[in-house]
Amino acid sequence: MVSALSFIALPLGTAFTLGLLPQGMQRVNYLLTLLALALLSLIAASWLLAFAAGEIATQQIFTAGTTPPFSINLQIGMAEAAGLLLLNLTGLLSVIYLRDTLHQQGARAMAVLLIFIMALSGIVLTRDLFNLFVFIELTTIATGGLILLSHDKRALGAGFKYLVATQIISITLLIGTIFLYHDSGTLNIDGMAAGGLITGESLALFLVLIALILELKPFPANGWALDIYESAHPAFSAILSAAAATAALFAVDRLLLVGSNSWLPLATAVGVVSFVGANLLALVQRNDRRILGYSSIAQMGLLLVVVGQRDILGESYLFIAGGILLAHAIAKAGLFWLSGIIVARDLSDWRALQRNPLYIFAFATFIAMLVGLPPFPGFYAKWDLVHLLAAHDRIALLLALLFASLLEALFLFRWFGYVIKGEANPEGIICARNKLGVIAAATVAAWGVAYLWGEMALQGNLLYSIPLLAALAFLLLEWLAVPYKNVLAISVLLGWFVVNYADYNPLQLIFAVIILVGGPLILLSSFYARGRRIGFYPATMLMFAGMAQLIVAKSSFDFFAAWEILTIGSYYLILRGKASEPHAISYIIFSLGGAFLMLTGFALAAAGDLNFLLSNLSEVAPAVAPWVFLLLAIGFMTKTAAIGVHIWLPGAHAEAESDVSPMLSGILLKAGLFGLMVLMLEMGRQSLYGVDLTHVMLWIGALSALLGNLMAAFQEDAKRLLAYSSIAQLGYALFGLALMNHLGWLLALMFVINHFIYKSMLFLSVGGVAKRTGTRLMYRMGGLITLMPLSFIAVLIGIIAVSGVPPLSGFGGRWIFYNAIMTAEYRLPLIIIFLAGPIAFLYLFRLIHTIFLGQLKDEHRQLREAPFWMILPQMIFVACLMVFALVPGLALKRVDHYLLQYFPEGGLSWDGLTITSHFGYWSPISIMVIVGVIFMTLFAWLLFVNRRAQKVKQFNIVFAAERPFRPETTHFAWNFFAPYRKALGFLTEPLVTRFWDAIGEALHSLAELLRRFYNGNGQTYSVHLLAFVVITFLLARGVS
Amino acid sequence: MQFDWMQIPYSLLTLFIVLNYGMLLNALIAKIAARVGRRHGIPIWQNYADLLKNYGIRSSITHGVMFYLGPVFRLAGGVGLLLFVPTIFGSEMFSNLSFAGDLILALYFVFFGTLGMALGAGESGHPHAAIGVSRGLSQVTTAELPFALAVFAVALQYQTLSVTDIVAAQQGGFLNWTLFTNPFAVAAAMLGFLGSMMRPPFDVVLAPQEIPIGPPTEYHSSYLALMQTNRMIFPIAKIVVYMNLFFGGAASWPVFFIKVFFIYMVSVLVGVVFPRFHVEQSVRWFLVWAVPFGIIAVLMV
Repeated sequence: MVSALSFIALPLGTAFTLGLLPQGMQRVNYLLTLLALALLSLIAASWLLAFAAGEIATQQIFTAGTTPPFSINLQIGMAEAAGLLLLNLTGLLSVIYLRDTLHQQGARAMAVLLIFIMALSGIVLTRDLFNLFVFIELTTIATGGLILLSHDKRALGAGFKYLVATQIISITLLIGTIFLYHDSGTLNIDGMAAGGLITGESLALFLVLIALILELKPFPANGWALDIYESAHPAFSAILSAAAATAALFAVDRLLLVGSNSWLPLATAVGVVSFVGANLLALVQRNDRRILGYSSIAQMGLLLVVVGQRDILGESYLFIAGGILLAHAIAKAGLFWLSGIIVARDLSDWRALQRNPLYIFAFATFIAMLVGLPPFPGFYAKWDLVHLLAAHDRIALLLALLFASLLEALFLFRWFGYVIKGEANPEGIICARNKLGVIAAATVAAWGVAYLWGEMALQGNLLYSIPLLAALAFLLLEWLAVPYKNVLAISVLLGWFVVNYADYNPLQLIFAVIILVGGPLILLSSFYARGRRIGFYPATMLMFAGMAQLIVAKSSFDFFAAWEILTIGSYYLILRGKASEPHAISYIIFSLGGAFLMLTGFALAAAGDLNFLLSNLSEVAPAVAPWVFLLLAIGFMTKTAAIGVHIWLPGAHAEAESDVSPMLSGILLKAGLFGLMVLMLEMGRQSLYGVDLTHVMLWIGALSALLGNLMAAFQEDAKRLLAYSSIAQLGYALFGLALMNHLGWLLALMFVINHFIYKSMLFLSVGGVAKRTGTRLMYRMGGLITLMPLSFIAVLIGIIAVSGVPPLSGFGGRWIFYNAIMTAEYRLPLIIIFLAGPIAFLYLFRLIHTIFLGQLKDEHRQLREAPFWMILPQMIFVACLMVFALVPGLALKRVDHYLLQYFPEGGLSWDGLTITSHFGYWSPISIMVIVGVIFMTLFAWLLFVNRRAQKVKQFNIVFAAERPFRPETTHFAWNFFAPYRKALGFLTEPLVTRFWDAIGEALHSLAELLRRFYNGNGQTYSVHLLAFVVITFLLARGVS
Repeated sequence: MQFDWMQIPYSLLTLFIVLNYGMLLNALIAKIAARVGRRHGIPIWQNYADLLKNYGIRSSITHGVMFYLGPVFRLAGGVGLLLFVPTIFGSEMFSNLSFAGDLILALYFVFFGTLGMALGAGESGHPHAAIGVSRGLSQVTTAELPFALAVFAVALQYQTLSVTDIVAAQQGGFLNWTLFTNPFAVAAAMLGFLGSMMRPPFDVVLAPQEIPIGPPTEYHSSYLALMQTNRMIFPIAKIVVYMNLFFGGAASWPVFFIKVFFIYMVSVLVGVVFPRFHVEQSVRWFLVWAVPFGIIAVLMV
């Protein structure tokens, strides 16, 4: 192995050589710099590989040929090697990125950059306190120089503030060092730790520690650092964020050894405040680099928490810290580099990226990595961290971390939304090949570490999952035209179903059919799209991959990963709609919020087991079981859009593309129901403080049904109407599950199937109509029945089925419902659901009437039927609905038997044509035949007596002796249920929306208030630093 | 219960009896209501005359397929409802086609005709039709609620959803009727009943006295005849459900005629006394006055 001293010697030597070379040899200078950094990266990589292979053990290097305390010693182990590789690679890539700037600035800038990297490497390696101080001073001075690489005029001021601040830190560090030396007689950190002379009470130790922590720029004493991030050259910011912060973290981690871990709580506390505070402040930022600065600080806070919790993390410490650190470093460097190719600084200026899908891919990768989504390292790391925190009862800390992660996701995804949506400025981007290469390298590195962390993870590598790989493969197929990709997508889904068919149990099979057969059915409508439709297929397949994995997940980790994957996929899908940006952000925030609650629930249940099996949910300790149930249930209910957490749904479904809405409503929502089923099958009934949680769910289900239906009745937008109807339908299903009896579950499954069929069909019909008419507002349509007869039939069959009127399949749902409630323990919620029932007629009638009946508008007279590819799946759905109405046993019989093992009482009897329960009976085929015969007989009779009927024109109506004025004023459609609104409209007050808006508003106001703290004045920032030191000390050691 | 081909002629016989009874009963009730208002009223055979006249009208127009099918839906709903419920207790043949489904089938089949006719009326393009539908649907949401609660209470009380079994449980003296064993349920149901009979104070849906409004606005000739036929059958079919659930059913046709008449008269008595409600008023009225009885009934069973 090449000596670790080369990390100091090589850059130092190169820097001196640069100074000695004659001026004007910029190219040679640049090549030398590159070469040095490349060599250093190689050396670091060779160390890392050797450690990883277990060939060598941690090595100590002693300078001056003697041992400490008389010499300085350096130490290199696995972590140090990884850190060095990260530092030097970041340096190398930044130098490539900075090619033009460095050519301009000349050899001195390159030398300073090399010194900077050298100093950072020194911080990572050294075990000597004074040596550490020297390296920190070197980084400070080098930073001062490198800030000037930027063209931004504010950089000078920022650099000056930086120098002032770092001098305070240095002084603190130096004073602390002096006293530590005085107390322990050594400057060697390991010596101090081993000597035991330094106690946790030592003020000197506190000073050193707080100085190093301040190097991490903790919130709120970090105004000086933010100005640097904002005004420095982005390539330098990348180094500062990825490399300098990493080095400082190594130093903090090392120093905490002294004083036998007594300062760990301090690190945790400062970390958590930073993580929450910085993410909160980032909410109100519009400047891209400043937001990245905040995010860097937040990530450092999180890492500080990890360091502070290392006493409980045990063997996972390096895995967790490394995962978060790498995710942060790569993503943040990547984002800073990306910001370097954007001309202007507002977040919306990043729209310039739209022109190149590869940029968008890189951007999405970095954001997913920062948020800690699968399959990136942060995901594995957060999983382990949360589990270990929960296992040691550090729940408050855990919740604070998850809350801050949610804030982080909020501003990052909101930013992503700005970028994807809206008009791009074509000149907003600077393209240079070297910069592109660097960004591409970061993207590759991101996926590389994702693979690496998966390999190291206890739970197995997510990147080995075939559905996920299939979804990712569609990224490589983006150049294909829609028909090819569509055929491929359909075949992949069907193929996966065929391959796995035998392994599904009846419950899984129902969901598998909906996802893997129903999905392709809806995808048929996508043949209508033209061009390449970039981004649609990877997102769709990602969602389906998550769903397919979800239903077969055995461990909580697999389940959660699948959940996150389907959430990301569906988020991208929702975001594709024209005006869906605010709804997509609302969706992802509610989904991630729900997911974090689930994560907490799983962590509580697992009690430290990092690979917890779902089947063990039944054996969770009674003390935590109700909490686990509660957290998981809320998590799942965000996906089923139960009332209270439903506000994401209407907009998301309404604004999505025509073929996306049915997927979201028909398929995606079922993920939540599946989760609830797994949960309730394993955990059964749980009570919290004497309240039966299934009883609460009954109420939630009933209220969702009622309010969903009411809201649907008052919508003018057809897709919004259907969206609210979905909330209600899922409310029924939730209600069925919460009944916790055999028929209740059968009811829920019946709703799962029915809702998939009719809601997909209705969304497709309405989507087709909206495509033709160019509006979703129902009162602007009317009389389309003759122009779009097939769409009308689909809607007609759909609404009969939804309403539960015999003879279609909706009636089966109602029949099972009544049988199920006969044995219900709680009757009050039933009243609500009874009230909800007939309200469905209101919106269903309105849907069909205002679109297809009534007066045709002049501008619609030339309309054609919806496109063939949209009609085809609708007609297939009509056929499915008919079959399911006639022989519900096809789908339900097996499940009915399967449920007997969980709910032995109350199964149905399926003998002959009649389905019999304990209370009643129902014969679908007889009903169909009887109704059919009566109907046809009467129809024939009418045809006979009315054979001469003439078709008349639209305005030929008995209009109180007047002639109707025009279709717009004759079509009774707008505010259709005005009297009803008068009577019950008060129930539709948007209280829930107001509640969440108020929370959002409060968070933003708080952030707005806090940001006044940063007034841009160097003196104020110095005071902040001092105050931070004093207050932290007082808080840590008590005021006494 | 099994299907037997002989049930078909008997069902048709039921239909015939009920249709004629309905013709006479409706005329009688119109007459009673007229007498309350100091008018003479229509002759007892007026409905036959109207029906024949409407079937006989030769000029007829159509606004489209759905318009054409609306009355068919309407009448099929009425006939179906009648036939899905056993008419005469203890008679295998007059239990009609109730082998196809239980009480729940009857409850939901009520909407079959309503929905179909509303769609047909919608296609006429007449705003008054749509306004009528809007009013009717609004009103039905809360008018049905007390009835649904009462049905649930009764089903819980007798632990069955089969209409025949519910009637059987009420045999052996009138004190065994649900009316006396579960008075709250019956109170709720009868208040809900008022809302579904198209009589004041809940008749703003059709508003028959003033302007042509409500779903039938555009219907005429044989369409109207079909709907009129339904108007003869449907109230009785609905009353049969009430009779079976709450008033001990009927073991013979004479008892059937009497019970149906008196149940019908409840809505007439109220109707001739009270003026009409706005839709929003009736929506609130049912929630405030009728639903609490239903809730008590459900909770007390």
